[in-house]
Amino acid sequence: MTAIDVRGLSKYYGPVKALDNLNLEVPENAVFGFLGPNGAGKTTTIKLLTGFARPTAGEARVAGEKVGDGNLGLQVKIGLLPDVPAFYDWMTGREFMQFVGELHHLTPDDIKKRTEELLELVELKKAGNRRVGGYSRGMRQRLGIAQALINRPKVLFLDEPTSALDPIGRREVLKLILRLKENTTIFMSSHILSDVERVCSMVGIINKGKLITVSSVEALQKKYARSVFEMEFMEDAGQFVESLKKIPWLAEPAIVVDNGTPQVKVRALDIDRARKELPRVIGESGLTLTRYELSLPSIEDIFVEILTNGEKK
Amino acid sequence: MKGFIPLLRKEIQEQLKLYRLVIVGGIFVFFGISDPIMLKYLPEILKMAGSGQMVIQLPTTTAAQSLAEYAGNIGQIGALIAVLVAMGCIANELKSGTAVMTLSKPVSRSAFVTAKLLAMSMTFLVSMILGSLFCFGYTVWLIHGSVVMPFIGLNLLLGLFLVFCLAVTLFFSSMYKSGLAAGGLAIGVVIVQAIISSIPIIGNFMPGKLLSWGTDLLTGTGTGYWWALGITVVAIGLCLYFAQRFLKNRDL
Repeated sequence: MTAIDVRGLSKYYGPVKALDNLNLEVPENAVFGFLGPNGAGKTTTIKLLTGFARPTAGEARVAGEKVGDGNLGLQVKIGLLPDVPAFYDWMTGREFMQFVGELHHLTPDDIKKRTEELLELVELKKAGNRRVGGYSRGMRQRLGIAQALINRPKVLFLDEPTSALDPIGRREVLKLILRLKENTTIFMSSHILSDVERVCSMVGIINKGKLITVSSVEALQKKYARSVFEMEFMEDAGQFVESLKKIPWLAEPAIVVDNGTPQVKVRALDIDRARKELPRVIGESGLTLTRYELSLPSIEDIFVEILTNGEKK
Repeated sequence: MKGFIPLLRKEIQEQLKLYRLVIVGGIFVFFGISDPIMLKYLPEILKMAGSGQMVIQLPTTTAAQSLAEYAGNIGQIGALIAVLVAMGCIANELKSGTAVMTLSKPVSRSAFVTAKLLAMSMTFLVSMILGSLFCFGYTVWLIHGSVVMPFIGLNLLLGLFLVFCLAVTLFFSSMYKSGLAAGGLAIGVVIVQAIISSIPIIGNFMPGKLLSWGTDLLTGTGTGYWWALGITVVAIGLCLYFAQRFLKNRDL
């Protein structure tokens, strides 16, 4: 089943194409990471998909509901955390949760139960009776996540959910996202690529309003796998590196120290031959191998490569 | 009007927690007390200021004069306060992002704007009741005499005029993310309609004519400006309608 179905969605501001002909399908229960530099069109896309902006062209369905035309059925099924969550500062965290629960027409018992559950989940139970005006940026972000979940949304939109959080807060939110994906489809935009790598099953990369690629994280990593082999040995590998320099299908062998551990890195000029013959070369060296892998690129590496050189065919 | 009741409850709480009711009520009560006192003691103040060298004969103050003075002040100052209270009601929410937070829930735009107008109107209603009670009480006590039914009629017309000022400001507030711009335009509309309402014939159709009608009720003169009443009600409805249309059609 498709949770988010976008066809030809465009948004122009005069001559500026904030979003240009976006076609996208996000399956149910996926955690979809939407990546792009500043001004790429991430927030515009989220605004269009949640009904807060009117498209110039195209259409979209979210959780089976048509987006736009004041369709309130959409708001029943989604949760939204905007990039900068704003609250009525005179309310307490608990009052705000109660308010959004009432807007979702939950029963008083359900509101009370969900409020306590969610405040516990985002670790705001103790601060629940304090005015939101006195909350830190991180606390506001966590309250924003809690309020977006009160209606048990089928699709949850998170615009930069971890940007305002400290490392511990970020880890907690990412853990929460992983837990939520059992019942919810999550569409999150982020600048923090390591976060996307940790939680997202699918990613889309957008630049200048154009979607450049959509894929699972694994498929992207395979597609953009660099032909670099990494090896670690128990003994000194200086001699071994010298011997690698003489092999014509290898290039740039070197010892690189990563986190205090010396590694041998070598680039294959002929990846298939290297895959077949490098293990034999290592065996002949007489060294004790402790790690051997064809290095996978991080999402950050892929992101930079795509934005610099375009998508690999 | 989905979500109207929780929105109205929130708006009323906001009026209380941000002390809007206390401030607006306080100003109305101030005029309710000060106007009869001023009228009562004005001759003596003038006598003292003149040090007995000059004698100014003032006609005896009547209850109708005292109540009309209060109504005149509330008509002007109240309109200004209405604009100040309403100018940021939607604009500030659009600017800060709270409108997005609220409207991301199953809430209709019409419920969003109507709840705001109703809550602000309630603040003014309570303030007017308080101000009027004080004015009436002080008038009976100091000046003696009363005109109960005409004063109630005056307050109803005055109240409707202030709701009109709130509605116009709310309409502009839905158009701009700046409360100041909304307030400026609303004051412009209130001033322009006040100028037109002083022009013969065409003026009889302006909301500002409700104030003249209210004063006429106290003195028992003049006729009712029913067209002005009807047009004011329609204008309030149109302001609400177009405010929610603007919110529906704009990118938030």
